[in-house]
Amino acid sequence: MEQKLNSLLDQARGQLDRITKGGAPGEVQKQLEDFRIRYLGRKGEFSTIMQQLGTIPVEERPRVGQLANTVKAEIEKCFEDQKKALVGTAGVNGAGFVDLSLPGRVQECGRLHPVTQIMTEVCGIFEALGFSVAEGPDVEHDYYNFEALNIPAHHPARDMHDTFYVSESILLRTHTSPMQARIMEDQQPPLRVIAPGKVYRCDSDITHTPMFHQVEGFLVDTKVSFADLKGILTVFTQKMFDTNLALRFRPSFFPFTEPSAEVDIACVICGGSGCRVCKQTGWLEILGAGMIDPEVFKMVGYDPERYSGFAFGLGIERIAMLKYGINDIRLYYENDLRFLSQF
Amino acid sequence: MKFTIDWLNEYVDTDGISSAELAEHLTMLGLEVDAVTELFQELEPLKTAQVLSVDRHPDADNLSLCQVAVGPETLQIVCGAPNVRPGLVTAIALPGTTLPGGIKIKKSKVRGIESFGMLCSERELGLGTGHSGIMELPEGTLHGQSFMQTLGLNETMVEVDLTPNRPDCASVIGIAREVAGVLRRPLTLPVDKAEIEFARTPFSVDIESSELCPRYGARLITGVTIAPSPWWLRKRLLSIGLRPINNVVDITNLVMMEYGQPLHAFDFEKLADRKIVVRHPHMDELDFTTLDGTIRRLDPEMLMICDGVQPVAVAGIMGGMNSEVGDSTTAILLESACFNPVSIRKTARKLKLSSEASYRFERGVDPGGCLLAMERAVRLLCEVAGGVPGPGGVDKYGGQRPLKTLVLRISRTSELLGIALNYEKIADVLLSIGFRCKEKDADTLWVGVPSFRVDIEREVDLVEEVARLVGYSAIPTTLPTVHLSYPEQDESRMIRTKIGDLLTGIGYFEAINYSFTTEKHLQWLGLPESDPRCRLVRLLNPLSDEQSVMRSMLLPGLLENVQRNVNFQKNAIKLFEIGKVFTPKGENEQPMEKNRLAGVLSGNRFGNASTFHFKQKDVDFLDAKGAVEYILQGIRLWGVGETSPLSFYQPEQSCIDPYCDALQSLAIHAGDQEVGCVARILPEVLRKFGIKQDVFFFDFDLDALCKLKRVAKIFNQLPIFPAVGRDIAMLVPENVEAGALVEAVLAANEPLIEQCEVFDVYQGDTLQSGMKSVALSVIYRSSQKTLTEKNVEKVHMKIVNMLSSKFEGTLREG
Repeated sequence: MEQKLNSLLDQARGQLDRITKGGAPGEVQKQLEDFRIRYLGRKGEFSTIMQQLGTIPVEERPRVGQLANTVKAEIEKCFEDQKKALVGTAGVNGAGFVDLSLPGRVQECGRLHPVTQIMTEVCGIFEALGFSVAEGPDVEHDYYNFEALNIPAHHPARDMHDTFYVSESILLRTHTSPMQARIMEDQQPPLRVIAPGKVYRCDSDITHTPMFHQVEGFLVDTKVSFADLKGILTVFTQKMFDTNLALRFRPSFFPFTEPSAEVDIACVICGGSGCRVCKQTGWLEILGAGMIDPEVFKMVGYDPERYSGFAFGLGIERIAMLKYGINDIRLYYENDLRFLSQF
Repeated sequence: MKFTIDWLNEYVDTDGISSAELAEHLTMLGLEVDAVTELFQELEPLKTAQVLSVDRHPDADNLSLCQVAVGPETLQIVCGAPNVRPGLVTAIALPGTTLPGGIKIKKSKVRGIESFGMLCSERELGLGTGHSGIMELPEGTLHGQSFMQTLGLNETMVEVDLTPNRPDCASVIGIAREVAGVLRRPLTLPVDKAEIEFARTPFSVDIESSELCPRYGARLITGVTIAPSPWWLRKRLLSIGLRPINNVVDITNLVMMEYGQPLHAFDFEKLADRKIVVRHPHMDELDFTTLDGTIRRLDPEMLMICDGVQPVAVAGIMGGMNSEVGDSTTAILLESACFNPVSIRKTARKLKLSSEASYRFERGVDPGGCLLAMERAVRLLCEVAGGVPGPGGVDKYGGQRPLKTLVLRISRTSELLGIALNYEKIADVLLSIGFRCKEKDADTLWVGVPSFRVDIEREVDLVEEVARLVGYSAIPTTLPTVHLSYPEQDESRMIRTKIGDLLTGIGYFEAINYSFTTEKHLQWLGLPESDPRCRLVRLLNPLSDEQSVMRSMLLPGLLENVQRNVNFQKNAIKLFEIGKVFTPKGENEQPMEKNRLAGVLSGNRFGNASTFHFKQKDVDFLDAKGAVEYILQGIRLWGVGETSPLSFYQPEQSCIDPYCDALQSLAIHAGDQEVGCVARILPEVLRKFGIKQDVFFFDFDLDALCKLKRVAKIFNQLPIFPAVGRDIAMLVPENVEAGALVEAVLAANEPLIEQCEVFDVYQGDTLQSGMKSVALSVIYRSSQKTLTEKNVEKVHMKIVNMLSSKFEGTLREG
């Protein structure tokens, strides 16, 4: 009986190998079905051999039984393998009719957070322009966050920053600008650096979250001008949004830049004709910028007569809101998959 | 800063310029216009009405039944005002009107008598506080007219978002000066010259520190009658959202808004010893009641205005109750002073009290403008409140500094801005807003800075003025010429990017949680207080308890995300976060910041993938482990090449975190340092986070991973001879790990064995209980020749025997 089982296996393998593609449509299926009935069917050859199990000595039965199981499993496996190779599985045919309306077979793909996506895009544009990327601490010294940026204690400009404090002189950075001072303290011009990261302000409502993301950028060299600042930011804005996008620079104030500017782009929602998002002005503010103030240079030991430079900062959440039409900033940190899966 | 265009027109003629154009000009000058609002729109439907007759209401003593003329119509109105009388012209809201307070007027019956509208008080119209009766319009006002037009309420209000460097524009005149400059039209001031006559004054002023109080001007005005202000004055204040109080207070507020100079009026009779002393408070004077009725706790550093005996005002911030101007006041002492910005700011912060006055002083008030504003106020007090100016006045100007003159280089200006400028152009724009210019030499000019521009101190400040006035849009757009250099890449940042890409590729979504969190989470996780992650960086001023400490782990935030998503019926959750955690160091020292990577997975394994192909099945430990293996492989730290700096360990019971299932926990080590772990979270912990389903997680010290040397890419010759595969199915006790079998095979040191893998683990009814079947597939290959069955059989049998004896197993297959 053992011999019969082993030879059945060989025979079955041989027959399966002879079933090949080609021939009339449906021929392969028919041959496969014939094979199944012949070997694995209720009245097939395997069953016939197994009926003899009762005739062999009791002590040999477990061993033979085990072999029989193995042989059956092997035939089934070879059959399924061959069937798969020739026909494919459930409802999809290797040759002939395929139900093209069925979903493709692939697992779901995840997404990066929209903030990360925009951050990568922003950094990518500046990296392509030759800027290096630097990161700094979230929990910062008062000195780097304020003093080194020409915002002494009791300066009214501190009102622009609702600051979280950890101790008297340690705080959560309110902007990524401290990286200007940190890098310049450490390196000599020429410098082209962007510094992305998280920033914090104690302010929470429909348009503010207490944590958000900024990218700071600066360029220091000899003979850098405000016109250059306009040039770099024009390149950036047009890459980020649209080549034909109108933008404007208008005067503003930051203690660490002089002259200072805010950069507006033509409202991406209404195209400049005025809507709720742009408060009827046709413009959206997306960047703060300016020529680095000589005081900042003096504090890091640069000679402001020799070097000039510009700096800029932008909010990632805001850009994502404009680009993707997100209307509630709080959605960013709820990590709702219905939100995350949209980007 | 708010003003109306009508008000602005008092100083500069904006005729022919629309409000939108004006707003554009201001914005492009750096005075960003936040809003342009048409005021009093809700009063549009109101009409003027004249009372014809007044009769008693038959059923109510305090109500009157009036016949009222509104143009050609005569209406019956029930009115409760005591001042209603025949001949009075007032405002009427007809049925259908909604008043500013939200009251809707309907035709109604009052105590059985029909009333066809409502006669309104000032308060009901949002025009003041007068509620003692209906509004009384000047005699001779026609009835049936538009109420708005009759009172000249058609006003446009402009709101400018002032930057802190421009206190000079916290005044309508300051704004007007900029507008006059850009429109090249003249600026007209109500008072442009003021001097104090020398005379003996019936009061004295002493200043302790001219550092804290550079200038103090004061004048006495007698014969004042306190009364409500005339309509034009109230309208000015109302139009910018200030509440009219009485003629004296209204005048000080009006002049402050006009000139930017805060003024204060004391009731002269209430000043002890007819004396003003500007000093710090004494230790027994530290409780002080300000005008708003609040008792303030002072500190000895604060600057106070005192009389001969006690403090009567917090300098530059708010007056005191004890010297307040009231209905019986007849003589006032008018203060027009200048205080040190830092001192005012500190005091305002400490008292948590800010006012229109402190806003201006903190940013810097023009000491040169004190007398102008005072003169303007004195004239108004005489005109409006019937006052008579006392002889002379006081002007203590201990902090007087010479006017600043700065040197401006034309070449430097041109270079910094990137636009070619010359003397004529620069002088032209600077002159237009009150600077004085004189040519010094071919490249430099002297620039005299007007006293109101307290923000201009350096050459670069002038460069900014020039840029602003020339217009940023006039400056060309160029790209900088720079030396080429290679931007250094941050390795750690690149690995983070790589991991993000890897994980999204296998269905994970990136989460970003707040860096601050609640301490409660760590208790929920069951961490003992001695755990280093329970040492937290605390915020001194958190927004809430929920956001009061900097996070020491990423997991709790992710668990909150799981809970939220389960609540919103998302049954397949795979999330990861890459972010910083914080550990305190010393007091006043920056904490340690470390980057970590954590991921959670729960619910359906295949997410939103087609259920047609993938059976709905929940994730288990091996899904988490698989993700870990996959990431580590992706960043070449494990599973590639011949060696790996990492290994998986089953940690000792004592090393397992209290929130992990001890039976489903693995630690990942680099040498003897644990760099990460993967585990099932205990259900009782999850319940505290409101999660009722299984959650698995992984967590890595990303900085440690980044420091490890990644497995180098080294090419191995491709095999020349074919491989032979053999399977082994062993029946072993169920507590034997499949991995141990694999390791034993590989450790057998048989040169022909190329690979060994588990391909099936089976436990079931057909097997003896307590046993399981582990099926291994072994690949044999020689680099010298094609293997024969015989070659393989010999080694294979050796392996089988070794496994059988080592693991007390039996072979399942021949």
